[in-house]
Amino acid sequence: MLLLIAARSLWQHKLRSSLLGAAIASVTALLLVLTGISVAMRETILRAATTLMTGHVNVGGFFKVTAGQSAPVVTSYGKVMELAKREVPELDYAVVRGRGWAKLISDTGSMMVGVGGVDIDEEPGFREAVMVPEGRLDELRRPGTILIFREQAKKLGVKVGDTLTVSAPTFRGVNNTVDVTVVAIAADLGLLSSFNTFMPSDTLRALYQLKEDSTGVIQLYLRDREAVPKVESRLREVLARGGFQVMGADPRPFWEKFESVNREAWTGQRLDVTNWEDETAFVKFSVTLVTALSVAVTVVLLIIICVGIMNVMWISIRERTREIGTLRAIGMQRRTVLAMFVGEGALLGLAGTGFGAALGLLAAAAIDAARIPVPLGVQFFLMTDHLTVSPTPFWVAFAVCFITGAITLVSLFPSFLAARMKPITAIHHVG
Amino acid sequence: MPPIVSIVDVVKEYRLGKVVVPALQGVSLEVHPGEFISVAGPSGSGKTTLLNLIGCVDTATRGQVSVGGNDTGKLSERQLTSLRLDTIGFIFQSFNLVSVLTVYQNVELPLLLARRLDSAERRGRVNGLLEQVGIASHERHRPSELSGGQRQRVAVARALVTEPKLVLADEPTANLDSATGQNIIDLMKEMNRRKGTTFIFSTHDPKVMEHANAVIRLSDGRIAGRDLPRGPAEARA
Repeated sequence: MLLLIAARSLWQHKLRSSLLGAAIASVTALLLVLTGISVAMRETILRAATTLMTGHVNVGGFFKVTAGQSAPVVTSYGKVMELAKREVPELDYAVVRGRGWAKLISDTGSMMVGVGGVDIDEEPGFREAVMVPEGRLDELRRPGTILIFREQAKKLGVKVGDTLTVSAPTFRGVNNTVDVTVVAIAADLGLLSSFNTFMPSDTLRALYQLKEDSTGVIQLYLRDREAVPKVESRLREVLARGGFQVMGADPRPFWEKFESVNREAWTGQRLDVTNWEDETAFVKFSVTLVTALSVAVTVVLLIIICVGIMNVMWISIRERTREIGTLRAIGMQRRTVLAMFVGEGALLGLAGTGFGAALGLLAAAAIDAARIPVPLGVQFFLMTDHLTVSPTPFWVAFAVCFITGAITLVSLFPSFLAARMKPITAIHHVG
Repeated sequence: MPPIVSIVDVVKEYRLGKVVVPALQGVSLEVHPGEFISVAGPSGSGKTTLLNLIGCVDTATRGQVSVGGNDTGKLSERQLTSLRLDTIGFIFQSFNLVSVLTVYQNVELPLLLARRLDSAERRGRVNGLLEQVGIASHERHRPSELSGGQRQRVAVARALVTEPKLVLADEPTANLDSATGQNIIDLMKEMNRRKGTTFIFSTHDPKVMEHANAVIRLSDGRIAGRDLPRGPAEARA
């Protein structure tokens, strides 16, 4: 009966309820779309990063000939690979990647980039993550070739078929260079592609003058991503038991660790077990930024909505003061009056957020279908060249519960005051 | 038989800024079960205040008000609300129905608050009362779709649905034409006779007073007298 009174009271003031409901629905839809963009970014980062830069779990490390000179190298990686395959039943597949940090030099410019050494035939996922509108990815099989991204090509002023010189210090402390031909220019992937390039593993080994049994990192791909923490800690123990020196957990990408590693006194090989989140920590800020912006915008709008709700509740209570008095006189307890008005707020919130959730899902689907292009600057953060929105059931449930909860909470105060009203005062209220 | 209402030396004062306005000044009264009593007096004589104190919607400044054997001054707000729900029925001058509920739902509401009957029993009780007050054919109507007389019939049904020992009616006929007002008084009288419910109603209409067993006359917040009305013989039966 209380809900019936609440629902019919809302219905009785259709225009007021509709306006407020529409505002609630808009905020809910906006929250869903904004969080959907954050989720899509995270998915894109995961999909692209776990192909371009990292496995779900990585066994990389540093080799130091002298205390102050480190290289991102795993020597005799066969043993590590064997151990990982034996001790990680969750493993789907594993690949080895060369790692480097080198200078690309063209006729007109130069830039520092990360260089990944890939065996393109061993990595089918690579083709799915990297779109190559210029040149051919298959050409990357040939030694002395390189794949760069569109923005890099623009900065260096090169096209497919041009030659670049790659210069890097070997871990013996001398600089080495190789000349490579640009065979593929890939579509940009925002921040992820701004400093990544790829060349055949053998070419990278030649640049760093490494042996056949050395590589940069062993990237492990698991069947279930949820198993990452478990596998990561198991690998640390297993590698340590297997006689390897294992570095302490440090949630940073490998290239951010050079400085601290070079400051340490040890020499020789140390392994570093990381996960995909560590290696992409530098792009997390953009996801955090979008999420924070979404929350900030939503909170501001929510505050406005809550003020509106409070005003509407005041008006409603003022209009129904005599009714409250009557209900109290005929035996309705204070808590029941409170529940009735809070129920009215909750009902409005639930209807508004429910409608908003449907609206948000529709908007997300429409935005996805329209493949709306985003400006270059925005691509850098979104990691994609068009707007993608991926609302998840969690965020739908969160938006509905959070906004309804906030509205219910806000309606509590006027409802409480309504419940506290003396029956005699309420019955004789004029207005 | 113990009185259902006992008022001893009650004073009620209202404070309007620095001015204290006495509404009741030392009123004492006893009402016994089954009585059909009218409270009469000119405007401002304290009729409504007296009914409010008996109805536990207001508290006395001094003195003792007992309803159904309960000293209302000693009860908490929660206990007073329960007393109103279980013991007292209200009929208001302006009907005071819940506008968003149908006739049926308005009458059912006190039963839902009391939580004493199951759904089938509730249905039986409400339908029976709607029949008795002659409004059964309008059970799905909203109050705004009814005439004043019909609304007051609904209010009578709502007041009686919990089978209270006492029904308070504050000028129940004031907003009705005389024929409709007569009908409402007849209806109340019939309920009083049939169920033995005690009725206390305020009025300043002499024709309405004629139906009462006794008329309590108020003047300037004091009881000026308790008379037997000069009217239809059956009123005193």
